[in-house]
This record gives sequence, C-alpha cells and structure tokens, in this order.
Amino acid sequence: MSNSQPFFDFAPIWQSRVLLIEGFGIAMFSAVAGIILAIILGLIIALMRLSRFKILRGFAFIYTQLFRGVPLYVLILWIYFGLVYAVGIDIPRIPSGIIALALLNSGYLSETFRSGILAVSNGQREAGQALGLKGWQVARYIILPQAGRIVIPPTGNQFIDAIKDSAILSIIGVPELMKVAQEQANLFYRPFEFYTVAGLLYLVAVLIVSRGITALENRFAKYSRKSGSSENSVVTTATTDASH
Amino acid sequence: MDGYIYNWNVVWDSLPELQQGLIITLQISIVGMALAIIFGLTFAMGRMSNYGYVKKFSTGVVNFARSIPLFVLLFWIYYGLSLKFAINLTAFQAGAIALGITGGAYMAEVFRGGIEAIDLGQREAALAIGLSSSKAFTLVVLPQAIRIIVPQGVNVYVGLLKGATIVSVIGVADMIYVAQYISLNSFTPFEMYSAVGIAFISLTLSVAGLAYLLERRLNRSSANV
Repeated sequence: MSNSQPFFDFAPIWQSRVLLIEGFGIAMFSAVAGIILAIILGLIIALMRLSRFKILRGFAFIYTQLFRGVPLYVLILWIYFGLVYAVGIDIPRIPSGIIALALLNSGYLSETFRSGILAVSNGQREAGQALGLKGWQVARYIILPQAGRIVIPPTGNQFIDAIKDSAILSIIGVPELMKVAQEQANLFYRPFEFYTVAGLLYLVAVLIVSRGITALENRFAKYSRKSGSSENSVVTTATTDASH
Repeated sequence: MDGYIYNWNVVWDSLPELQQGLIITLQISIVGMALAIIFGLTFAMGRMSNYGYVKKFSTGVVNFARSIPLFVLLFWIYYGLSLKFAINLTAFQAGAIALGITGGAYMAEVFRGGIEAIDLGQREAALAIGLSSSKAFTLVVLPQAIRIIVPQGVNVYVGLLKGATIVSVIGVADMIYVAQYISLNSFTPFEMYSAVGIAFISLTLSVAGLAYLLERRLNRSSANV
C-alpha cells in the first residue's frame, strides 16, 4: 500500500453504489424466491410425512434427512456443475442458486410444519367437525390459524438464514451483493471497505426482516388464548444451526 | 450431453486426497468450535450480567454476529481485516475465527438458555445452605445446565461442520477444495460432488445421532438422582 492513499477510503463505495444496490436486490430476490419455494415444498413434504402411506412417509423422511445434512455449498456446486455434466440439465446461475436455497430450506421447514400441525390438538379438529364444519373449513378456520401462529417464528428464522446463505450463491457467479463486493473490492483494492459495507447491508436486511416477523407474530397472537404481544423476538428464538 | 459415462473410479482413486481434506475440515471445525465455546460463554455471562451496559453490549454483539453471513465474515476477516491491519492470518486461521464468531453467537444463546432453564430456587437453595455465589453456580446450577447445553452444543457443531465447507473459497485445502481440484482435471464434478455430499450427510447425521444418544444418557442420569 502506497502512502499517498488514505487508510480508510469509502469513496469507491459511493462510486459503485448502483452495482451494490443491484446486487442487494438480486440477493433479496434469491432469498425470497428460495423461501417461497421452500415453504411450498416443505408443506408438501410435511403432509407426506403425516400421510397414511408408508412409501410417502419413507420418501419424506429421507428427503428431510438429506437436505438437512448436506451443506449449501456442496448442494450448489452439485446442481450447477454436477448436473450439467452428468445429466445434461443446464440450469442458469440464478435459478440454480434459488433451487439450492429452496431444497435446503424445505428440509428444515417440513419438520417445522409437521410439528406445527401436530401441535394443534385433535380436539380442535373434532370440535370443528362437531359444529358441522366441512373438512376444508376445519383446515382453513381451525387448524391453519393455530398452526400458522406456531410456525411463524421458525419460518421467519429460516427466511433470515436464507438471506444470509444467499451470499454463498456468489461462488457460482450469481451477481448478488457478495459477488459485486468481491469484484469491486478487487477493482479498487479496497476489500475492507467493500466487505464492511456488504456485511452492514446484510445486517440491515436481517434486522428489518426480524422486526417484520415480530410484528407478524403479534398479529397472529390474537388467535392465542394468552393474547398480547409475544415476548421473544425472532433473534432469541433462532434455531441452533450455525452453518449460515 | 447424452451418453455421459459415469466415472466413479475417480472417486475411489482420490480417496486418500479426500480423506486428507476431511481431516482439514474436522480440524478447522473443531478449532472453530473451541473458539465458539469461549466466545459464547463470555457473551452468555455478559448477557446475564447485572450491569445494564454489559448486558446491552453483549446482546448487541451476539445479535450482530448472528446477522452477518458466515461467508461475508470470512471474506471480511481474510481479505479485509488482515490486509488492512497487516495481521497476515493464514486461510486456516481466518476460517477458524469466522467459524468461532458465528458459532459463538449461537453458543451464547445455548449457554444462556441452558443456565436460565434451571429453576431459580436451585440457586436460592444453594445460597441458603451457605454456598458462595460462585460455588452455587459451579456446583449446583452448571451441572444441571450442562444437560441442556451439551446436546444443543453438538447441534451447533453440526452447523459449523456444514459451514466449514465454505472455507475452501479462501484456499483452505478441505474436502470441497480437493473435490473441486480433482473434478476440474477429470471433468467429473457430478461424481465428486455427489461423493462429498454423501460424506457430509453421513458425517452430520452420525454427529446428530451422537447428540441424540448423549441427550438420552444425560436425561437418564438425571432421572436417577
């Protein structure tokens, strides 16, 4: 480092602001798309695990074990590089990343949904039926609001993990925030400044989302017998998966 | 792309290298976990402190460390921090520190959760029979809290094991690094990444299984008391 350069120089950040914001947008898009797909997949797998058929239960069990055990890094490499060679499925970068995020998170979410559904007491279903509600009405008005309240905090945590994990998509060249930060850091030779700003942007995204989830929890709290605001913020109810 | 010939022999031929990589993965995750325990215990104590500022500061640090992606932390430490302040960390050291910080934030919550789960009456009873505050903690509260902390701690370790895969991006020669290197030369990414994926799934499942057995054992011993 030559002496003519200032020790800290955040001016290059301002120069690259448009690229950084675009990268941030792609990161958020990947995380949101990934988690939406993961919720759909997770719900299907959860219902399969609760099914009467042994084959469906077995498949769903293996699915959850598989995607909860595999590191995201390996999964992304496998989907993006592995599948092209072996099967000839050429998936572009961003969809590859979204699929990897969806598969990984669906493994965790299916367990969350399963326990959420099981946590609603059977008496609730029976009471609904006794009142003359149809099957879908019991599901819609009795089971879902109660199970929903239970699964909101863990699903929110999963979304936060997906935001953090989206940084790994940079390894296959998805032009998300971390990829942009790497390129710009090399261009200006300012890695400290660019990675600091990238870290802060992720931090802001995570904090906003966790506030949103707490608000959502409080809205759902009206279905709870012990109504009132929930005491645990999302951050304190997080899972113990430290791989993000 | 049709007519692809699977070449699983590459996996067998590279087993010694993969094994070397696996050892590196285990080493970095264990060093990271040791740092996580120190970091976690410190900030768990901080969060339970009676001093408002210590409490606020510790809570802030834990939430901060948990909100930054491990991947970003790794780059920030290895390329950012060590270059800026000329610390000259090796890739292994930077990786272990990043794992230690992320894991530490989770461990802080595990420690705090475990300690706070112990009924306050236990501590009060210990103080009432004349134990000092520190003895009440080490002899009465901690042994009970360990039962809750250990299984969850193993889960954090499983997370770190999976998280440790990303250290290959800064050049640590772990299992993924080996797999990437070999698949580039032999054009067998599918086989190599499948093998690594299977290795990791079996590794994480067996460690998680161990946690389950441990939990059962610890619960059994508590029932006998």
